[in-house]
Amino acid sequence: MIETAIANIEITDWIEAGRPIPSAMDRLTGVAVKTLRETGLRPKDLDAIIINTTALPFDEGSYITISAQHLAHRLADKIGTHGARCMNVCAACASAGIALATADAMIKAGLLKTVLIGGVDNSPRGFYFQGPSTLDADLAVSYPHKAVGITNPSYWAMWARRRAHEMGKSIEDIKELMALVKETQSQYGARNPHARYKKVFTAKEVLDSPIVCDPLHLYMISAVSSGAGAALITDMETARKITDKPVKIAASAVGSPVYGEPSPRLICFATAGAKKAKKPFIEWRKPIEMAYKQAGITAEDIDILEGHDTSCFHTINWIDQVKGWEREETDKLIREGQIKHNGKFPVNLSGGTSAFGESVMNQALIMIYELFRQLRGEAGERQASKELKIGACTVYGAYGSYGAIILEKGW
Amino acid sequence: MSDKKKVPIVEGLFTWPSDKPQLIGSKCSVCGSVQFPKSNACDNPDCDHSKPPDEILLSTEGTLYSYTIHQYDLREPFSYYKAPYAIGAIELPEGVNVVARLATTEEERLKIGMRMRFKVDKLYEDKEAIYLTYFFEPEG
Repeated sequence: MIETAIANIEITDWIEAGRPIPSAMDRLTGVAVKTLRETGLRPKDLDAIIINTTALPFDEGSYITISAQHLAHRLADKIGTHGARCMNVCAACASAGIALATADAMIKAGLLKTVLIGGVDNSPRGFYFQGPSTLDADLAVSYPHKAVGITNPSYWAMWARRRAHEMGKSIEDIKELMALVKETQSQYGARNPHARYKKVFTAKEVLDSPIVCDPLHLYMISAVSSGAGAALITDMETARKITDKPVKIAASAVGSPVYGEPSPRLICFATAGAKKAKKPFIEWRKPIEMAYKQAGITAEDIDILEGHDTSCFHTINWIDQVKGWEREETDKLIREGQIKHNGKFPVNLSGGTSAFGESVMNQALIMIYELFRQLRGEAGERQASKELKIGACTVYGAYGSYGAIILEKGW
Repeated sequence: MSDKKKVPIVEGLFTWPSDKPQLIGSKCSVCGSVQFPKSNACDNPDCDHSKPPDEILLSTEGTLYSYTIHQYDLREPFSYYKAPYAIGAIELPEGVNVVARLATTEEERLKIGMRMRFKVDKLYEDKEAIYLTYFFEPEG
């Protein structure tokens, strides 16, 4: 099989959401050109451009599908190509991970060699709502906000409460654990020049913040932001010519809604399947298992994790799923400070979405960027103390969008 | 009593008008899988999909899978949601886990695993009508 690599990746600083300036397209173009120039490649060298679509303008149904869904073509038009294949991918907050997996699969299949992936997003402010589309009046997903008043954090809160229940723990216990995750990750956001939030929180401050939907407090939920990023994905042979430190893509897996998932699925009214799995989150776990199989590794081989964290519960759940161990072990790991840069299993040293805020469809790029820098030893003050060989990035989004990416030192 | 018209907030989720409203789902006549809301296709990947599912009415009793009390109001166009209000996920005997409004925000009345009963009630009203949605409330 053809080996693939990330030859380079760059991201912009994450900024406040909901402002049109600087323009989204200019930011995408800027970071795409920067990523290419650092490798010495030109747009003419690209075989494909795969860009994730965006949430712009997420909750205005009148023009949701037009320009924001064709960023690959608009980028190609702006930087010039000689016919690079343009594709736009969409998988909610998991989108950028799926763009990477698409590029990876096409290169591994021998169809092409150099692919620019990337994206830009500018989130709506406040709770995300489903747009009122008269042409897509799908009962299954279009009306939970309208009929039930359910918001994204309400789903996460229900998952967190259920986890505590299944473990026989109190609601205060899971709150304390989530507050500790925020405290830990904020220390790394403070050290990340690209992160929007630099404030270091104490667990007490987090627990003192207003309750949004119990057990989630305000500071346990990510803010909304705007940011852009781009990565150059190539076959390993090409990567070695343009960088001394190519980061190998050992695996990239795409997940989906799984029949029999017991827990409520984000944005949806219901999950079905009479013979449901006993434990929740089989949808989260499935692409991780696929990725382990592709890479020929097990959970023990993962040195560092970046897991998409729109709430502090997500960080906890990703550790549960990536490790596939008893959930008590996750709690112990977090409480003992072992997810810090000098711990046994560093998690979200980027600061995570917790410190960046979410630039919806583009969010996986902050995590892939972090793993790329960590594996190359370029993460500065955030650099993990232990020697790193293999890192995992797990992505998650609405409608049952998931992905898992395994990166490895390629030099 | 108000003589305003009572209107479901979303058509097609539950039977209305009705003295004993129920959620409207669908059931595959080939494999027996049940969907909510009702669907024109079976959701079981192992089914041969040779027939579209039939409409059925779902059980009015289920168990509480999890819940939360929302402490923030929602903005337009959903500003009729005023905090606090409760949301839960209810496991129905048909094998679907449905998100729903809960009829109480009193946490001491809620416990994961407890029996819950379906009802249709007022969500909000304006000058023209009373808008209805579905709720689950603790049994007994």
